[in-house]
Amino acid sequence: MSHTQTPARAVAPRDAAPGRPAATARRRGSGRETLAGYLFLTPWCIGILLLTLGPMLVSLYLSFTSYNLFDSPKWVGLRNFQDMFADERWWKSVRVTSVFVLVATPIKLAVALGVALLLVRPRKGQAFYRSAFYAPSLIGASVSVGIVWRALFSQDAVVDQAGRLFGLHTDGWIGDPDWSMPTLVALSVWQFGAPMVIFLAGLKQVPRELYEAAEVDGASAWRRFRSITLPMISPVLFFNLLLEIIHSFQVFTSALVIAGPGGGQAGGPGGSLLVYTWYLYDQGFQQLRMGYASAMAWMLLLGIALVTAVLFRTQKLWVHYEEEGTGVR
Amino acid sequence: MTTTLTASGRRNARSVAWHLGALALLAVVLYPVVWVIGASLKPGDQIIGSLQLLPGHPIAANYRRLTEGIADIPIYSFFVNSLFVALGSVIGVLFSCSLAAYAFARIRFAGRNLLFTLMIGTLLLPYHVLIIPQYVLFQKLGLINTYVPLLLGKYLAVDAFFVFLMVQFMRNLPRELDEAARLDGCGHLRIYWSIVLPLCRPALITSAIFTFIWSWNDFLGPLLYLNEPEKYTVSLGLKMFIDQDSIADYGGMVAMSLAALVPVLLFFLAFQRYLVEGAATSGLKG
Amino acid sequence: MNVRRSVRALRTVGAAVVALGLLAVGCGGGSGGSADGKVTIRYSWWGAADRAELIKKTITLFEKKHPNITVKTDFQEYGDFWTKFNTQAAGGNAPDVFQNSVAFLRKYGEKNLLLDLNSQVKAGNLSLEDFRAGLEKAGDIDGKLLGVPVGGNTFALVYNPAEFKKVGVTPRLGWTWDEYNTAVKKISEAKDGLYGASDNGGVMYLYDLYLRQHGKAFFTADKTLGFTEDDLKQWWGDHLAANKAGDLVPAKKSEQVKPKSSVSADLSASEFTWDNFLVRYGAETKTALALAPIPTTDGKKTGQYISSLMLSGSARTKHPKEVAQFIDFMTHDPGVGKIMGYNRGVLPTNAQFDAYTPTGVDAQVAAYEKEVAAAGVIEPITPHPAGADVCEASLLRIYGEIAQGTTSVDKGVSTFFSEAKTALGS
Repeated sequence: MSHTQTPARAVAPRDAAPGRPAATARRRGSGRETLAGYLFLTPWCIGILLLTLGPMLVSLYLSFTSYNLFDSPKWVGLRNFQDMFADERWWKSVRVTSVFVLVATPIKLAVALGVALLLVRPRKGQAFYRSAFYAPSLIGASVSVGIVWRALFSQDAVVDQAGRLFGLHTDGWIGDPDWSMPTLVALSVWQFGAPMVIFLAGLKQVPRELYEAAEVDGASAWRRFRSITLPMISPVLFFNLLLEIIHSFQVFTSALVIAGPGGGQAGGPGGSLLVYTWYLYDQGFQQLRMGYASAMAWMLLLGIALVTAVLFRTQKLWVHYEEEGTGVR
Repeated sequence: MTTTLTASGRRNARSVAWHLGALALLAVVLYPVVWVIGASLKPGDQIIGSLQLLPGHPIAANYRRLTEGIADIPIYSFFVNSLFVALGSVIGVLFSCSLAAYAFARIRFAGRNLLFTLMIGTLLLPYHVLIIPQYVLFQKLGLINTYVPLLLGKYLAVDAFFVFLMVQFMRNLPRELDEAARLDGCGHLRIYWSIVLPLCRPALITSAIFTFIWSWNDFLGPLLYLNEPEKYTVSLGLKMFIDQDSIADYGGMVAMSLAALVPVLLFFLAFQRYLVEGAATSGLKG
Repeated sequence: MNVRRSVRALRTVGAAVVALGLLAVGCGGGSGGSADGKVTIRYSWWGAADRAELIKKTITLFEKKHPNITVKTDFQEYGDFWTKFNTQAAGGNAPDVFQNSVAFLRKYGEKNLLLDLNSQVKAGNLSLEDFRAGLEKAGDIDGKLLGVPVGGNTFALVYNPAEFKKVGVTPRLGWTWDEYNTAVKKISEAKDGLYGASDNGGVMYLYDLYLRQHGKAFFTADKTLGFTEDDLKQWWGDHLAANKAGDLVPAKKSEQVKPKSSVSADLSASEFTWDNFLVRYGAETKTALALAPIPTTDGKKTGQYISSLMLSGSARTKHPKEVAQFIDFMTHDPGVGKIMGYNRGVLPTNAQFDAYTPTGVDAQVAAYEKEVAAAGVIEPITPHPAGADVCEASLLRIYGEIAQGTTSVDKGVSTFFSEAKTALGS
């Protein structure tokens, strides 16, 4: 990638006055920097005010009201939140979602990283392999996935038969409250293509020289992974971890798709698939309790925000950004 | 006579082993996809409840059904609409999110941390509760039944996911590159355009791919904002095959799902090789 | 100069964005009228591609007879339809005319979202004459005409005649629950993998019929539940016991075959549902299915009523006259009857009913309705208060959990009553 070493001197530098060291222009919070920053952020600012922050504030307001979409919202203060804590189905949705996040996220990321490591070296047919491993993510959001998944996990189908080899006896996974969560986890893990692609991009950024140097020094594959790969991809790993957690907390379509068409019953068999956003959607759009649904949404936000904040704090411990300096030893 | 493998022989054996392993893994991973392909070749009433992977007598009727269109709307109409929205989204995301990411990653401006936190915060709220206020906003602007509500956000960096992704990549570029450029008199715009962006190509390509796919599969947006079936996207078209009151056409739906996969797969295939070029530090050494 | 190049690049991008934007705005559609008297109305309905083709034909017919009115239509599957409708109505943007159901008339009527068509009837744009079996009253809610029936249906028992014949039971008008339950038990015992009946314990419409046979009803005119916790405990208790005894399809099995019904998946030999669902069920299986009358408690009363899909107008429409003309055409025109057949239910007016000669499954449905009407068992419909749809969903969901074993009958009953109270009270 070329960046010219000798740009035309005739370009009047916009930030550094002639003679002054360039460093002053980068003084934290300097007016010029701030102006530049906000200029770059103009589209983002418009977007956030118009399309995101505005509606978010409206929903925050609605969470303190009783709103059925058609009458004006009625202020009810904290009642929605009180109702929430007394609502058994709400607690169920919290449990179901938490289990899903805790189980699906690590498995999915491990599989994604594993396959990415598999694919990182240039090989014959790599375009084919990369696309093939990514294909599930392409089809994962499609309506037909519901039909496939339910077919594969029914009684006497492939998964059931495979399970019997391991001594698992079920009447089919679909339709069984005890086994439908594993099918949801399986569906989520199956779509590892997205984090895999991001891992690939991150792995590609690791300079080969580092590996070669380590090999010369006699480091084992595991040592190379632990001391070079992991730290060098830690920004991407952090990104994937954070976003997978956020997405898992908000899982929606996959749960609906597995519970099958013919709605009416939010939560799948025996309520075992009642993930948080499904309950939220049911309350907001089907029972027309939009105020309650908004309160639920903000509760979710608080929960995820807590997890996010903790993760960000731990960044200092294990995430290494190249811009902060070199040196991986 | 030596019976040990030569170095290249070892390499070949390892390569074969790799391919076998990868193919075995693929067999498991792609089994559901093969099932869908098989289903598309089965008559509609054999799709639900049948356990066979491949049909005994494959039929082409489901694909022929696609040529008839849905409710007199030709299938390609859905594809063209989806393509328009998807490509429009990709351009918007690449343009606006990279600008915002550069600001967060490379410019020290007042309030940066606060705004960054705010940006991450926008990821945390389930979109269901934003639907109504956003709908009312677009309705007041008279933009219902157009593609604007589906595209506007992409040009205004509303997708914090991509901003954050690009930030992570940009932060992984050594500062020395920027400083060198500054000493040569470059301003932020030049650094952004000529240095940072090209080095972030993997992130940009990833964002393009994801944007295309998510836009292609987006259902709720088109559902709410498009009022004419001629404007419908593929995701809406897919759901036209099934209703509780009607005789469901699972065959048609599965066939169309597979057809809908093709553009996405092509897009991915076309761009995935750019993920390869990621040697980000080439600008620094030497 | 580099800066100039950057600016030029930005300008190109900017121009592209603007061009894209103009293209995206396209022709923002929607209802409109113009000086030359041409009116456009929006018609939304739920269904799939097959219904879409029929409706398109009827609209072509309508536009020919009313050249000054253009009808723009869009459709979704049932669940998505209501999501979209609720969002649009919340934004004040509901379609001018749309498909509706009896169960929702009060729900939206009380929020003043539905057009009162009485004024249009008085103005002569919409006729309430010639409706069959008192259907013209179906949309009359507290003196306002909030919907016009576009297809009627009534509850029936979809069953497998061959299996019932094998155990020597022939369904006929006036047969009793005892006879039915005996047949169900015999069928379950006879064959492995085939159950006598699907477990319909959570179906509100069936329980409503049962209650009506005992002089009660699911809802009262006072917008409360028309039965007690003990009533429901017995109803659910009986069903759960029969389920556990192996007479009814277990919940896990019926879940797996979704979206097919148990009877069309050849899991059960009978299922209570709307008579026009026979069309869909019949197409999903190779087994021959037929319609049987609802079993009675006293040998006579089935408690049935005629329900229907309706067409309603939006209270905010700018073209009430055209909406009324559209509804009038769709419900009375014989040409429409010939095109639609029984797709939305049995045709509501005599003009349409006589214009269409049903064949195949449609003929079975028509014969069933004729038989039921001749027997005089049809009674006025139970009024559905606002919140009825929530009660319907709660009943189905909670019984599902009971059948799956994740909750008990007693707990389920008290949960249902508290959810119903919230739904009906609000």
